[in-house]
Amino acid sequence: MSDRLLVSTRKGLFALARGAAGWGVSGVSFLAENVTLAFADPRDGGWYAALNLGHFGVKLKYSPDAGKTWEDRAAPAYPDGEVVATADGKPPHSATLKLIWALEAGDATQPGRLWAGTLPGGLFRSDDGGKSWELVRGLWDRPERMHWFGGGADHPGIHSVVRDPRDPNVIRVAVSCGGAWTSTDGGATWDVGTGMHADYMPPELRENPVAQDPHIMRQCPAAPDHLWIQHHNGVFKSADGAKTWSHVPTAAPSGFGFAVAVHPTDPKTAWFVPATKDERRVPVGGKLVVSRTRDGGASFDVLRAGLPQEHAYDIVYRHALAIDATGDRLAFGSTTGGVWTTDNQGESWMPLPARLPPVHAVTFIP
Amino acid sequence: MPTVVIAPSLARWLTASPGSSVAERSCVVAGATVREVLDAVFAEYPTLRGYVTDERGALRHHVVAFVNGVAVGDKGRLAEPVPPGAEVHLFQALSGG
Repeated sequence: MSDRLLVSTRKGLFALARGAAGWGVSGVSFLAENVTLAFADPRDGGWYAALNLGHFGVKLKYSPDAGKTWEDRAAPAYPDGEVVATADGKPPHSATLKLIWALEAGDATQPGRLWAGTLPGGLFRSDDGGKSWELVRGLWDRPERMHWFGGGADHPGIHSVVRDPRDPNVIRVAVSCGGAWTSTDGGATWDVGTGMHADYMPPELRENPVAQDPHIMRQCPAAPDHLWIQHHNGVFKSADGAKTWSHVPTAAPSGFGFAVAVHPTDPKTAWFVPATKDERRVPVGGKLVVSRTRDGGASFDVLRAGLPQEHAYDIVYRHALAIDATGDRLAFGSTTGGVWTTDNQGESWMPLPARLPPVHAVTFIP
Repeated sequence: MPTVVIAPSLARWLTASPGSSVAERSCVVAGATVREVLDAVFAEYPTLRGYVTDERGALRHHVVAFVNGVAVGDKGRLAEPVPPGAEVHLFQALSGG
């Protein structure tokens, strides 16, 4: 099991380590700064941290030594003249980087390859460890992109970049709001998946694959044709590499939420952290729970042992639920700064003895 | 030549990972317009460019440059003149929590 975690928060990047006494904070980088995402590269052990400094823009940092020192890397930049539309009637305007919302490594045969999903909707590729970036034109130039729109933000954004471990040229991305897309040729051409539906949209748009709002998309690494999405409208799953999606109506105690974790070898097992519903974004009944299915969504266990069950209003963002390579250990962090871990697939949870700033993202260090 | 004063909140990002306490920084550079002065500052501190200007080269929305106490109005072109001996302050909006 992985004994280290990176927790990206509104006020710093916290490294957690598990020792004899349990989990604790082992290091802090960028204290008081807004760290929106972090990523430990399994190829060289380096850490990447994305910061959104507000006034001073979006930054990417790299640490070769587990957070002891940091170097500047380039943030993806939109080429001059590119525009972004919002599909809600506002006129298109100049595209500039608003947020790095996804980071993924290339495979072992592609040293230096990184993928970055961003707001306002660009996917970027680097072949030098983030020293330079290139906009992936094959997706950006799709005419449908001009119909993407923001979900919870002014701009559409790519929050999920999933690389198929069987083939480095197979890349899948999910967009809020713009659906789930697959490229089988390294990003040159793309197809959008079908089958999701957004019941809150006008009737003409409900089943439009480009109008969908997947909140996060995760794959089963050992069975990468199997993917799960926590969508604005519920839970969806795919068994054909994100070509088609089917609704999972049994999600309990609700279908609304942001995060999903998929077991590394069993595609039928996935975890969610539900909230009541779109217009009531708090845990059902003020009780923080994790839901788990072991049978591909036919049924769900509602797991609450060790989680606060009185006046708990923690929301878990889309990148803030993580699973390690064994599939037994999970961790998540909340908007009110709680972090919980489990070593038994969620049967019981332990709180981190710390009150962290609001948590944006949690990831295990391989 | 103009003197450029960089506020502490910006000066702290002159290193990749800021320390807990950084003072304001000032430097004397050549240049007759805001753009020329900023380019001269960025030549001295290359990493500062992305903090002060966006990817279009415009002054960031919440960053302000004062020339002798007057805020630069044209944040895109930055063509306003900077007199010799002027003091240029780089500063940011105050907000957040």
